[in-house]
Amino acid sequence: MIEFLNSNRRQIQFILIALGVLLGLLFLFGLPVILVQSSIRLATPYILGALAALIASRAGVLNLAIEGKMLLGSFIAVAVLYKTGLDPAVGVIAATLAGGVLGFIFAILYLRIKINLIILALALNLFVANATVFFLRVSFHVFGTLADPSVHSLPTLPLPIIDSIPILGERLSGYNVIVYLSWILVFLMWLLLFRTRFGRHVRAVGENREAAETAGINVTLVQTFALTLSGMLAGLAGAFLSLGILSQFLENMTAGRGWIAITVSLFALEQPVPAFFTALFFGLSEALSLYLQSRLNLPADLVLMLPQVATITALVLVALRLRAAELLKRRNFATQFGQELANLRRAVVGGGD
Amino acid sequence: MTRRLRHMLENAAIPILATILGLLVGSIFVVAARDDPLQTYQHLFCEGFGAKGCQTFSDLLIANVPTDGGGTQTVFAPFYGADGHKLAIDVERATILILAALSATVAFQAGMFSIGMDGQLVLGAITVGFLGYWLPDQIYALAHVDPKSPPETLFTVMHIVVPVICIAAAMAVGAFYSWIAGYLKVKLNVNELISTIILNAIAVQIVGYLIDFPLRSPDPNSLARTIRIDDSAWLVPFNRGLFQNVEWFSGSRTGVGIILALIAAGIVWFFLWRTTAGYEQRMTRGSRLFARFGGIPSEKAALRAMLISGALSGLAGAIQILGVERRVVAGFASSGVGFDGVMVAILAKESIPGIILVAMLFAGVTQGSLNLQFADLPRQLGGMIIALIILFASMENFFRAQFTRIQARLRPQRSAPVAAEGGTST
Repeated sequence: MIEFLNSNRRQIQFILIALGVLLGLLFLFGLPVILVQSSIRLATPYILGALAALIASRAGVLNLAIEGKMLLGSFIAVAVLYKTGLDPAVGVIAATLAGGVLGFIFAILYLRIKINLIILALALNLFVANATVFFLRVSFHVFGTLADPSVHSLPTLPLPIIDSIPILGERLSGYNVIVYLSWILVFLMWLLLFRTRFGRHVRAVGENREAAETAGINVTLVQTFALTLSGMLAGLAGAFLSLGILSQFLENMTAGRGWIAITVSLFALEQPVPAFFTALFFGLSEALSLYLQSRLNLPADLVLMLPQVATITALVLVALRLRAAELLKRRNFATQFGQELANLRRAVVGGGD
Repeated sequence: MTRRLRHMLENAAIPILATILGLLVGSIFVVAARDDPLQTYQHLFCEGFGAKGCQTFSDLLIANVPTDGGGTQTVFAPFYGADGHKLAIDVERATILILAALSATVAFQAGMFSIGMDGQLVLGAITVGFLGYWLPDQIYALAHVDPKSPPETLFTVMHIVVPVICIAAAMAVGAFYSWIAGYLKVKLNVNELISTIILNAIAVQIVGYLIDFPLRSPDPNSLARTIRIDDSAWLVPFNRGLFQNVEWFSGSRTGVGIILALIAAGIVWFFLWRTTAGYEQRMTRGSRLFARFGGIPSEKAALRAMLISGALSGLAGAIQILGVERRVVAGFASSGVGFDGVMVAILAKESIPGIILVAMLFAGVTQGSLNLQFADLPRQLGGMIIALIILFASMENFFRAQFTRIQARLRPQRSAPVAAEGGTST
């Protein structure tokens, strides 16, 4: 089985890509328009969150505080716009910056003060979850929801050329700016990680910290930058949640989306483009659950379980995939090593003659 | 003996420092809310730890109480129980925290960073919530007696048997749910932190569905809830049963649960530090490979730890329903109490006596901040303070390094090598 996979790698990759394209086309044209639109919208926080998770993981830091950064972003976005009546874009920028600041604080606490990574993330999540509600009551004197006529959601923009294409137009165009931005960011992230000097450094730090340090890379700087960027992406994802669709902030608005985003990045083996498609799948499963709920009148609790069950299945699949990759690597190593041993033996035995 | 005492003091120093720093930084937020921090904390601590009539910090220790003769008498406040004491309510809240924290500790000590206490706990709770009324009904039907007035002997027997069955079932359910994450970790190397978080979400939704539909009590109540458990399944609180005359307990639903929790704490301590199986688990934490080369079945040890951890969480849920709430209400599933238990375990640094103390602290802060809401501060202040305390407590290495540096500076002639050491380690 593994030998077969190994010898036909190109063909298998080709078949997989073809299958992916086919599924993508099926997704775009086979499903009702509402479902496609809502799954693209619901996938956006996962795309951004997964990018945030994977840049941190690539730099060797398991960033579990994405949930907290997202929540902060969605709160700041609305809080800045509340009563000031500024353009929603200002709120988005503020949320991104707030996420970045929290990411920077995270980096300082982890790299300088050396707090245990997991405890730090859990404590930050707990703090943000409580602090947002605290300031909701104290600064805005509201319970549960922060909404105001002065807070507008982001306007939807039609894409220039695509909008006029008959079937594709209504499915791919007509979203707000963060949706398009998330698509561009996937590409930029790929560019950053695999085509720039900085990306090489990030990957080097993630693969082997000591080796990177020896090679003269400033590990602290690289990780700080990666965590700050990760925070900014998570903040942007949060801004989409509060300003993208609803133009209001709700208590515990993220509701576990940050954790799902981490799973998305794990499933995609920390590659930006696969992360994009995985996020779309999660968006689809969530959209499907909402769609089914309204059509079939199923109990909400059971239907909302669908994405979670999909996540746990995805985790198992990731594990199987990783194990297969590991097995393949070992096989390759064994054959190579065996060949070298054989060469060596031949040389030694030949020398003995 | 003095060395041991000193060791204990050194261990306690960081959590105490963290608590003080957490309260100090928390006061910044109180000021931001345009409130007086001192007043707020006095209110918080009196509502959290004080006797009746507590107004200031000093009332927490010494209270002046009016006597029958018209004069006043000075008493030691923690023992003054007229109209009930807030500490008794803390004990009620701490029971479930202690059990959840023990559950987390058992998992952590085996190197499994499982935070699935929440899911296991709510599943245990719903199991008990169902069995607590269904099982007695079946028994009454079998014995052909009127559920309203069962014969004395039958009721006594049931009062022993039914809670035991309920608790055992809840522990089994919790253990099974925890085993899933453990199996995925051991066999497939699925990150247990992430899998338990998702399993928690699934459990919350399952329980939400069960309360909303199949198990919903038929009584007309806007809030979805299950049918109340039968009296024979009820773990009667102290103020209704054993210690009816002790005023200290009045107003709290503290009961047999705390005794069970303390027994569980003792057993867990003995298991982890005094038995071979516990030793194997603790070795597994350090390095799975090392443990396996040392002849320890590390996979088995990790799975066993997950089973025990799940059973403890299930027990926590069972006690909360059987002893305190007596029915599962819609909001219970998403209250996140199991997660608080994880925080307790982290802050107590997984020491068993520490868990009991920290659980009381958490219970008090939560209870105290609950009543801040009637002033003009949201109760989330308590959660923020707890998060800050955890942050500061996990800065232990940083504090120790600073402490060494300051010490070195104070004694320059002796400490040159210490300073050099501190310099390289930071």
